[in-house]
Amino acid sequence: MEKEYILSVLAHNNAGVLQRISGLFSRRCYNIKSIVATQTADPEYSEIHIVVQGDDRIARQVNKQVSKLVDVEEVTLLQQESCVVREHLLLKVNRTLGNSEKLVEIANVFHAGILSVTPTSMVLELTGAPAELDSFTELFQPYGILKVLRTGTMAMEK
Amino acid sequence: MILTGSEIIMECLLEQKVDTVFGYPGGAVLNIYDALYRYSGKIRHIETSHEQSAAHAADGYARASGKTGVCIATSGPGATNLVTGIATAYMDSIPMVAITGNVNLNLLGLDSFQEVDITGITMPVTKHNFIVKDVRQLADTLRKAFQIAQEGRKGPVLVDIPKDITAQKCEFTPLTELPAPKELHFPSEQSFARALELIEKSERPFLYTGGGVVSSGAANQLCALAEKMDAPVASSLMSQGAFDQRSPRYMGMLGMHGTKTAALALKHCDLFLAVGTRFSDRVTCNADLFGTHFPIIQIDIDPAEFDKNVSVDVRLRGDAKQILTRLLELVPKVNHSDWMHDVYAWKENYPLVQRARAGVTPQQVLEELDKLTDSTAIITTEVGQHQMWAAQFYTFRTPRQFITSGGLGTMGFGLGGAIGAQLACPQRRVVNVAGDGSFHMNCAELSTLSKYNIPVIELIFNNTVLGMVRQWQKLFYENRFSQTDLEKKTNYEMLANAFGVQALTIREQEDIVPVLRKALSIEGPVLINCLIDKDINVLPMVPAGASVEDPILSI
Repeated sequence: MEKEYILSVLAHNNAGVLQRISGLFSRRCYNIKSIVATQTADPEYSEIHIVVQGDDRIARQVNKQVSKLVDVEEVTLLQQESCVVREHLLLKVNRTLGNSEKLVEIANVFHAGILSVTPTSMVLELTGAPAELDSFTELFQPYGILKVLRTGTMAMEK
Repeated sequence: MILTGSEIIMECLLEQKVDTVFGYPGGAVLNIYDALYRYSGKIRHIETSHEQSAAHAADGYARASGKTGVCIATSGPGATNLVTGIATAYMDSIPMVAITGNVNLNLLGLDSFQEVDITGITMPVTKHNFIVKDVRQLADTLRKAFQIAQEGRKGPVLVDIPKDITAQKCEFTPLTELPAPKELHFPSEQSFARALELIEKSERPFLYTGGGVVSSGAANQLCALAEKMDAPVASSLMSQGAFDQRSPRYMGMLGMHGTKTAALALKHCDLFLAVGTRFSDRVTCNADLFGTHFPIIQIDIDPAEFDKNVSVDVRLRGDAKQILTRLLELVPKVNHSDWMHDVYAWKENYPLVQRARAGVTPQQVLEELDKLTDSTAIITTEVGQHQMWAAQFYTFRTPRQFITSGGLGTMGFGLGGAIGAQLACPQRRVVNVAGDGSFHMNCAELSTLSKYNIPVIELIFNNTVLGMVRQWQKLFYENRFSQTDLEKKTNYEMLANAFGVQALTIREQEDIVPVLRKALSIEGPVLINCLIDKDINVLPMVPAGASVEDPILSI
């Protein structure tokens, strides 16, 4: 059954390490839904979170293939139930005199931040679970979304 | 001691007991070649005509000897010319270290003359690669490269070294001894118990060898297990000779051009024990139809090979030799005489045969070569029909005797591979079996044979066509022979002579034995132009999409 898996990859922070990992995904035809890479508290290492779409067999294959990379220290297939899962979203929406109040209302429901307001646009930010960001985006759809930016998924075991 | 980067490279090669390297000089490796000049008493450098063949030669050297092959090329085109050779080694898990020069550090990234991002280019076809940007890290990087090439599932590693690094000096501390190899994974007792349960239950076991049996040196253990389990054995293309083909248990290859016997045994077996093999599409043919009616035990050093192409029932992860040794302790001696009787009957009923309207067949030539060399020659090949014929009709007795590009299927591999194999094994007879198509890819290496007087026999099955592709056109493209009638005007004998290589010709059946005898008596390289009919096919053959259990025997 197709679903999404979150892979946490601990890798040596060597030049080209991200290319090695992403190159492996493309040549083996695995789908990356999102990827986030950050240096860890120890600057020798990077932690890379990859959301992969596929079935159980693909997830196991990805895990084993990534584990073989010389620069990769550890690969963990994160169980979403035992993790906090977060993404960050920036959204610019069309603002008019008529819709301004509505926009603020939706933002408040989600406890989203309002980062900028101009006569014609409003930029909002929201951090949350991917599904929450999906519905947030959907609610602004009727007002005219000018731009959406989303980070990839980060997950941390509880 | 204070050494230059180039001297450090030489010292690191010597640490790894490297005495032969293959390569081609150029601007970015001038310093390295200057050091090679001074180390020429300790390291022999073989200069090929093209970097691609240097990589194939390093690969052939590794396949014949089990040691890590080393090749050197300059930056830019020198480095990119290695890529096919590196990819060939990667697909067949052959240990190799490729050293490339690059432009000076301050010229990197500026599209400088002969600059190319070779680490970027070779990422998908190396186990790992490095660019050395600090001379103080050069020695440890090279040591790491050799370690990675040899450990676990073997493979090629590339080390890219900017020119100024090869000139800079730094303190070099020699290794007093090579570090002990990393301990390999060994399966749990539960895994062995599950394997044993399947083995004990089986009445019709099928043993299958892959290249892993060769690279782990597990041929003796495999042979002992076949005896103990009273099982027939088939070998992949990569493991020809891993099981002695003179044994009555040997069924031939399994796969697209495997034997009918192996196909029938697969159809009737009740257990498939696969050792060091990755279920390539050329073996499974239609993977969906493979192994649906028998359990599979897979032994492999690379866990990513489990369930990659075919789902298996028991996974034994680790070194084939260690695992087979343990299995030999656990498996009871049994008798499957009914099953073996079936196998012997199939072998009797379905021998490999080759039909030609008239004249010389590759089968005859290879069988005569087999006799005259007492099945002990090292056979290298190019890729195509001749490659399959060589695998089918020569009798391989020992591992590392058949050297071929199995995974990548690289036309042009064989002659370079033969050069490497002959230098690794100077006492052995090395024959490169080629087709006329493949021969033209890297035929300039004949000059390498004559320059170093490397006594390789280049045996060309000359059918004037690109036979394997043509065979597919015959079967699936209604005889539209698009670009496969080569119609080359090459005079092979004159070409060989021009390169300083003697040439002989096989035209008629009566020529076969005398020409082979003559070639074997010549103390130097020799080319045999063996003229054959263009309509001889490779059979059996499993058509695309069909089950490997159902090969066709005629076209």
